[in-house]
Amino acid sequence: MNIQQLLNGLSLGSVYSIIAVGFALVFNILKFSNFSHGGVLTVTAYAGYLIATQGKVGLIPTLLLTSLAGGVLAVLIERVAFRRLRNSKSPVIFYFVSSITMGILLENLITITFSSNFYSYPKFFEQTILRLGNFQVAVTDFWMFVISVLALSILMGILYRTKLGVAIRALSMDPSTTLLMGAPVNQIIVSTFFVVGVLGGIAGVFLGINYTLYPQLGQMIVKGFIASVIGGLGNLSGAVIGALLLGLLEVFLTGVEGIGSGLAPVVIFLITLVFLILRPQGIAGKIIQEKV
Amino acid sequence: MSEWVLEARHISKRFGGVQAVQDFSLHLPQGGIISIIGPNGAGKTTVFNLITGVYPLDSGEILLKGEQISGLPQHVITRKGIARTFQNIRLFLGLNVLENVLTALDPDGSYSFLDAVLQLPPKKRGERDSKSRGMELLRMVGLEPYAGEQPANLPYGLQRKLEIARALAAKPKVLLLDEPAAGLNPREVQDFIELVYRLHQDHSLSIILIEHRMQVVMEMSDWIYVMNFGKLLAEGLPTEVQKNPEVIKAYIGEEESC
Amino acid sequence: MGISVSVLVFTCISIIGVSGVFLITGLTGMFSLGQASFMAVGAYTSGLLVVRFGFPFPLAAVVGVGAGVLAGLVVGIPTVRLRRDYVALVTFGFGEAIIAILNNLTQITGGAMGLVGIPPVTTLPFVGISAMLSLFIVWNFKFSRFGRQCIAVRTDELAARSMGIHADGIKLLVFLLAAGFSAYAGVLYGFYTTYVDPGLFNWTRSAEWIIMVFFGGLGSVSGAVLSAILLGTLPEVLRFASEWRILLYCIIVLAIINYRPKGLLGEREIFLSFGKGLRKGGGKP
Repeated sequence: MNIQQLLNGLSLGSVYSIIAVGFALVFNILKFSNFSHGGVLTVTAYAGYLIATQGKVGLIPTLLLTSLAGGVLAVLIERVAFRRLRNSKSPVIFYFVSSITMGILLENLITITFSSNFYSYPKFFEQTILRLGNFQVAVTDFWMFVISVLALSILMGILYRTKLGVAIRALSMDPSTTLLMGAPVNQIIVSTFFVVGVLGGIAGVFLGINYTLYPQLGQMIVKGFIASVIGGLGNLSGAVIGALLLGLLEVFLTGVEGIGSGLAPVVIFLITLVFLILRPQGIAGKIIQEKV
Repeated sequence: MSEWVLEARHISKRFGGVQAVQDFSLHLPQGGIISIIGPNGAGKTTVFNLITGVYPLDSGEILLKGEQISGLPQHVITRKGIARTFQNIRLFLGLNVLENVLTALDPDGSYSFLDAVLQLPPKKRGERDSKSRGMELLRMVGLEPYAGEQPANLPYGLQRKLEIARALAAKPKVLLLDEPAAGLNPREVQDFIELVYRLHQDHSLSIILIEHRMQVVMEMSDWIYVMNFGKLLAEGLPTEVQKNPEVIKAYIGEEESC
Repeated sequence: MGISVSVLVFTCISIIGVSGVFLITGLTGMFSLGQASFMAVGAYTSGLLVVRFGFPFPLAAVVGVGAGVLAGLVVGIPTVRLRRDYVALVTFGFGEAIIAILNNLTQITGGAMGLVGIPPVTTLPFVGISAMLSLFIVWNFKFSRFGRQCIAVRTDELAARSMGIHADGIKLLVFLLAAGFSAYAGVLYGFYTTYVDPGLFNWTRSAEWIIMVFFGGLGSVSGAVLSAILLGTLPEVLRFASEWRILLYCIIVLAIINYRPKGLLGEREIFLSFGKGLRKGGGKP
């Protein structure tokens, strides 16, 4: 692996980490795998496209507006798909069905609205290549990396420096006690979904820029899944590390003769399986144990 | 060969920053009834979870009739002869009362997968046998009339009995009862004590009991272990433990904090 | 407006797929988002054997189902012993991997253009009998010592293990069985349409099957069949475009989850009187 690949892999991995962290946050507080997050990615990718083309604004305003839209969408999803389940203390199976349904619903809404045509984002920058010494980085890749790191840092700030963050962490460690302490659980969960939606919005825009727009774009959520499985389900730093590794691995495999970008997902899937056999607890090394 | 049917030697378990069980040892003689008592959070249920293999041990060992069982998967431990009930009743809500008992007979069932899906004669025979065995167990605990009911519709006391019947279906040598008298009214408690004695006799069971009701503990136990903060605080005959000043202190402390 | 033969064939095929999903999700409480991929494995394996290697159909069908079960083994072994989320996540990843293989091994699979020239073997009576047979197997499985262990695992895995149930083994068994059903559905599909392409086997199809099981009521075989028939034929009769059909499913399911979480039939069976004769008492009231 050369330095050029390293740079590309890190910037790809940084977007994956945004996806994985969004997925892991919901897993942490509600303890189920949120498949609707894929739908958020699709919708925000298209929303960002509309904002950029109709509003004729640059990358940063597009990102801000889209992440806001993502936040609102995620809050809506929580309302429609999960709120009543929480109130009626439904088993986790129902959350699963609900989130899968929501994911498909959003994907199909986009298919109906935009049909299966392909769209691409406008060019945000005159210059497309950035030179760093002997190496070249696509300008969008550069921004992708910078903004992902920024977003993750802000997230860490929120989680570790604010009251909301403490509440979210408390809720993810021990829901029943948090409830007993009189914390406004609904508010915390809604806020978490908003944060998750914002992350989804950022990821959606970058996915849209990186690939062309199509309704199944949200299936890139699988990158978040794999990163989470490698990192350890529900572990935020594990998810980030897993995502970066995944990005690097993808870029590396794409360069390998006989694998290429087409078969890279197959190799990665097989590696994930082997990883699960050898180290099911993930890199972070904690298995979530059921309480008796 | 050991004289103990079940033996825990210096077992320890830590969860994050909490030492749930520390260097705890326990000896259950063949046919004996012993109790573990102690304030809430003392680590009693964790001891059960360690014995039954729900959690792996950090250190120590557990022997069943002299054979190491620590490290074995949960279902293997059960099938070697340790069955349990749960503090917060865990019946299978998708199954009726009889079927709940059958689940513990099923792993050992007599007919094969092909017999099952093709509806071959061995299945009919096997089902008939398990059902009559299941009904027999229900009869023992007095639940026969409720065989077709959903467990959720049963009163609390009967749900506890169903848990016991289900545990017995696993053909245990050792039965672990986790607060089996919790939530029962005084008449039910007496009824329950008689039931356990009867089962103890009929099945030559050895029993470990976790219980808060002193009436039950004092009346039934041959030997009592008192735990506090994951450690052994005292052990002895019921009369000895009752008088032990340390035990009284731990208990009164607990009462005040409630 | 009558229902065409092809609608009936596709409904029977989805009944076979749904039978598998019923075992995984309805009985055992796991989620597989890769059932469509097992279907693809079955369709492509059998189709290729006949088209490229001149195998007779019955042999190709058996190998196709076998390949599906084998794929199930590869995916199932590492995942069933872990928390249930892993099954859903890994099967989703499996779906992506299978589609990548089909799209990229162009020389063998025909790539995105698909595999053409599969002989039309599947007929309505054949697929109808196959669907009945699947239901027979699933029904008997549910009302057996295996089915009870599955339900125990679904409702409380920890308690199930404490009863001596080998939960990982049961989960793997069910997973393999379902992979086999899906693969068989794929075989029938390919040999009906005579053409398959990777886009047919996306996660929407897997999710659709889960939705059908859920719509009928978790734990109810008859509910699953009923909803497969209802959701399969109704939109065709009403002439909905496929996107609108799926949208409709989703809205129905969200409404069910919110207002009638037990689904159409809950745990009940509508053919129970008929079933009682088969299995001699002890069912649910």
